[in-house]
Amino acid sequence: MSDLSENILPAAPKRTLGQRFTWLVDHFKREWQIYVMLLPVIIWFVVFLYKPMYGLQVAFKDYSIFRGVAGSPWIGFEHFQTLIYSDQFGRALKNTFMISMLSLCFGFPVPIFLALMFNEITHHVFKRTAQTIVYLPHFISTVIIAGIVITAFSPSAGIVNMVLGWFGMEPIYFLIKPEWFRPIFIGSGIWQEAGFSSIVFLAAIAGVNPSLYESAVIDGASRWQMMWKITLPSILPTIIIMLIIRIGNLLEVGFELIILLYQPATFATADVINTFIYRQGIQGAQYDLAAAAGLFNAVIAFILVMTANTIARRYSNTSLW
Amino acid sequence: MRKSTILAAALLSTSMTAPAFAGGHLRIVDEPVEFTVHLHNKRYHYDSNWPVEQKARQDTGVHLIGATFGTNTPSSQEAHNLMLASGDIPHIVGGDKIKDMVNEYGPQGAFVPLNDLIAEHAPNIKAFFDKYPEKMAAVSSFDGNLYYIPYLPDGKYGRAYWMRRDWLDAVGMDVPSDVNELYEVLTAFRNQDPNGNGLKDEVPFFARQWPEVLRLVTLWGGRSSGSDTYHDFLIDNGRIAHGYAGEGYREGIKNIHKWYEEGLIDAEVFTRGSSAREFLLSENLGGMTHDWFASTSGYNPKLKDKIPGFALEVIVPPASISGKRIAEHRRIPVKPDGWAISHTNPDPVTAIKYFDYYFTEEGRRAANFGIEGTHYDMVDGKPIFKKEFMEAGPVNSQLYQVGSQVQRGYFQDFGYEIQWTNPSAVKGIELYDAGDYLIDQFLGVAFNEEEQGVYDKNWSQIRTYMLEKQQAWILGGGIEAEWDDYMATLDKMGFNDVLSAMQSAYDRQYGG
Amino acid sequence: MANMNLYSRGDKVFVRLNMVLITVFALLTLYPFIYIAAVSFSNGSAAAAGTVFWRPIGLTISAYDYVISEPLFWSSYKNTFIYTFGGTFVSMLIIVPGAYALSKQQLLGRRYFNLFVAFTMWFNAGLIPFFLNMRDLGLMDSYFGLIIAFACNAFNIILLRNFFEAIPKSFEEAARMDGANEFQVLWKVYLPLSKPALATIILFCMVARWNGFFWAMVLLKDEQKIPVQVYLRQVIATLSDDEEFGQSLLNQGYSVETVTAAIMVCSIIPVLIFYPFIQKYFNKGIMLGGVKE
Repeated sequence: MSDLSENILPAAPKRTLGQRFTWLVDHFKREWQIYVMLLPVIIWFVVFLYKPMYGLQVAFKDYSIFRGVAGSPWIGFEHFQTLIYSDQFGRALKNTFMISMLSLCFGFPVPIFLALMFNEITHHVFKRTAQTIVYLPHFISTVIIAGIVITAFSPSAGIVNMVLGWFGMEPIYFLIKPEWFRPIFIGSGIWQEAGFSSIVFLAAIAGVNPSLYESAVIDGASRWQMMWKITLPSILPTIIIMLIIRIGNLLEVGFELIILLYQPATFATADVINTFIYRQGIQGAQYDLAAAAGLFNAVIAFILVMTANTIARRYSNTSLW
Repeated sequence: MRKSTILAAALLSTSMTAPAFAGGHLRIVDEPVEFTVHLHNKRYHYDSNWPVEQKARQDTGVHLIGATFGTNTPSSQEAHNLMLASGDIPHIVGGDKIKDMVNEYGPQGAFVPLNDLIAEHAPNIKAFFDKYPEKMAAVSSFDGNLYYIPYLPDGKYGRAYWMRRDWLDAVGMDVPSDVNELYEVLTAFRNQDPNGNGLKDEVPFFARQWPEVLRLVTLWGGRSSGSDTYHDFLIDNGRIAHGYAGEGYREGIKNIHKWYEEGLIDAEVFTRGSSAREFLLSENLGGMTHDWFASTSGYNPKLKDKIPGFALEVIVPPASISGKRIAEHRRIPVKPDGWAISHTNPDPVTAIKYFDYYFTEEGRRAANFGIEGTHYDMVDGKPIFKKEFMEAGPVNSQLYQVGSQVQRGYFQDFGYEIQWTNPSAVKGIELYDAGDYLIDQFLGVAFNEEEQGVYDKNWSQIRTYMLEKQQAWILGGGIEAEWDDYMATLDKMGFNDVLSAMQSAYDRQYGG
Repeated sequence: MANMNLYSRGDKVFVRLNMVLITVFALLTLYPFIYIAAVSFSNGSAAAAGTVFWRPIGLTISAYDYVISEPLFWSSYKNTFIYTFGGTFVSMLIIVPGAYALSKQQLLGRRYFNLFVAFTMWFNAGLIPFFLNMRDLGLMDSYFGLIIAFACNAFNIILLRNFFEAIPKSFEEAARMDGANEFQVLWKVYLPLSKPALATIILFCMVARWNGFFWAMVLLKDEQKIPVQVYLRQVIATLSDDEEFGQSLLNQGYSVETVTAAIMVCSIIPVLIFYPFIQKYFNKGIMLGGVKE
């Protein structure tokens, strides 16, 4: 799929300034349309997202809303120190990574498998109906989802304990046990989002060249083999992109759902960076502390993404940039 | 408006503008003055069309124009922050929980200090604070200045102990008078099937918010919180302390664990949430709780048909092991809500006089009851709501639309509330009044920068640690064995430093 | 679809197992919707007590009555449509050409442009600077402001670019030989071949607009301009119990839970209606044949 046409960047490094300039002019004469198409996006990003980025400074300031960013004094890395030197921060960081990694291992493949499974369904109406249903929880507010989860796992009325009862087991008060928090939280997340997340992969699958399947059928391949040898490899670029982005979100772990589901008794496994910061900054809006935390998250996430991106670029054709 | 004599101005204005000015003893200015106002609450924001605003305008000559930020967000914090950030601060700023904002940004120059203004131009407010100096101290900033006039609630009581009289009758026992008898009553509720369905499904003690279970530590001499916020510090003879580090707490948690193990406390109290009261009462499973007078009293009329004989009554706090009866929870007498004068105000003197209007008898009545003749009538010198008004819907919601009971700086009048309070709540209040069970309340401190630093650095984590241990001890026991370690850890985490910081702020604020 | 007779034995087992698993998952994910539908038709006390599980208790339409009788509900509903369709349209105008340009190998500094876009996924300026920026641009309290300020996001651009990159160059080359310029290539070649991708991006834009409330709350002053999600939050705030005063809705037929559920149902119904139209683009075989000659 790589293009060897002469329209790409020239390989020869040693050229005079004049030659380079001529080349550049020719390039723009030829390719101006692409730049025109790019312009609205770039302008939009500059005006709406990059222009306000001076606000990131507040992570290093003692920010007063009244005085404004410019009028607030610098305090260097004090906010970061407040965060990082806290004992419980280490635990929050550990929990964030644990939940993220588990979520990645168990949660990331589910939408992919869902999409693949949908692809194998032949019954038209069933497929369309099921597809429409599975994304519904995405539209239901997290508060309701949390309420359903709490009820489902309740020792007295919950369905989970009812089922345990059929097998003769004692009811378990799941939501106060630290060892159960992660599975319940990740499971709830999958339940809420897997359906909607599978749409990306459905679209990718729909874009696969059907003639590939036709030739495989002629060669006598089974559906199972076709799934592994044709479908999956064809959507690999999409999977890689989604994976890199997901790695970039490693430190963001569904704050709202955790707040609704966690208890002091489960803080040991449930308290993550964002919930820790939330409790820290309850008094008033501590924008500066929140900005510092956001920056901390962002830098780490970005380093992770850069690594993942470089690896992806080296070993495949797909990368974020 | 053209310049002329006072009388001429009054006549002219009467004929040229509507509404006409009354020009009476409450009049503040000769010529009408207008201020912009930001007043934000999740349920309403300042509306210039409010009848009460119109009346105030007629009486005083000052007109407030609504200029509230964030009218579409229910989060007042957000609305206040946006207002500040915009740089376009209206002349008067008020609403929900403005205290932290005005006390932080007042010293930076955003709001006008009110102390001198009150002393010179606001006689009614001055009289009030002379009578209750601690209330003024409670809301002052760390630089000693008062930056807002608070909303001052008038009701005393918040939550009470409620118990099922019908269940007491079913098990043949009387209202428990002390903690030991309470234990026996709850045990009887659990074992003797007072709801009569043959199942051991009774939940003797439940709560909508699980920290209410912690109130029980008061029965063993402990404390759960000194203010109407959970897990807060408390004041004991001028000394700052925290309930979760006291001996009574130790004894209390030990016993709460025992009660929990024996099924006397709702096994799911931590996760049941706000539906607890509704569910457990209407399913005839709940026996006792600690909850708000007003809203809980509504269950008697509501469930009387569904559960024959249903009778939920207020009981006096059972005596602790040392014989004391206390009601730990009470309404905070000075709220973090109210209104302030911002630095953009062109005429702070008029503004403070306007604030003062609501502390006059007429202004106070308007802020509480609405408009005479429309919403209430004076009967024997007391404002009594009209019957149609009370029956048209929830009284508070209606009053918000009139401009009464909104979070300006004013002194509430409990007389407005008692008129539509449920009879069982009224009875309960009288019961508590008779016994005088209320104790000193911690009204908060205003930190200077150094103290704030100590607090910010340590407290959140200390609190987290306390809550984790607390829940673990209630669920699984072990407080006796771990207590010394716990206290040592608290010290290591800087707990005593936090206490010192608070004490120093407290002494400075309330005059040692 | 494929002829089942060509399926091996293993394949048939695979297909049946597949259907069972999907059915289970579909039932699980259907439940929350059934739950809120049931709550919305239930009596307020039952909902507050948490006794509603899958069918309404104390059947009543009082919650819907309350919701529908409020004119603000209808105006906010209309606004949601404006923001959703208007917003998505503007988004596509900017995103589609942009993603196309970014997918072109010959773009100079391509890597840096992509980084420029991706960077914003992690680094954002924060609430107040964004707010002040909007104010400085004069975009407060306007339909246009809300539409334009949230028109793009890095995720959608990267996704679409990725889909564009997957289209074989042979299609483009064929069009080039016929003398097409970039605009025509985009319009005549890439777009028809990217229907699933476009459907996905359109869907994501629409869903984000449909559900979005935070900035609408902050930036809008006029309550006639608010979308339905903001209205929902206001209703919840207004109805939630004022603890001290016991102004409970104990005696009304509805409660904050049932009204919230009713509004939620009303906001999901259009999604259910609209989605099947998008769905057909997720079927295989949209890309027809190979290179034409």
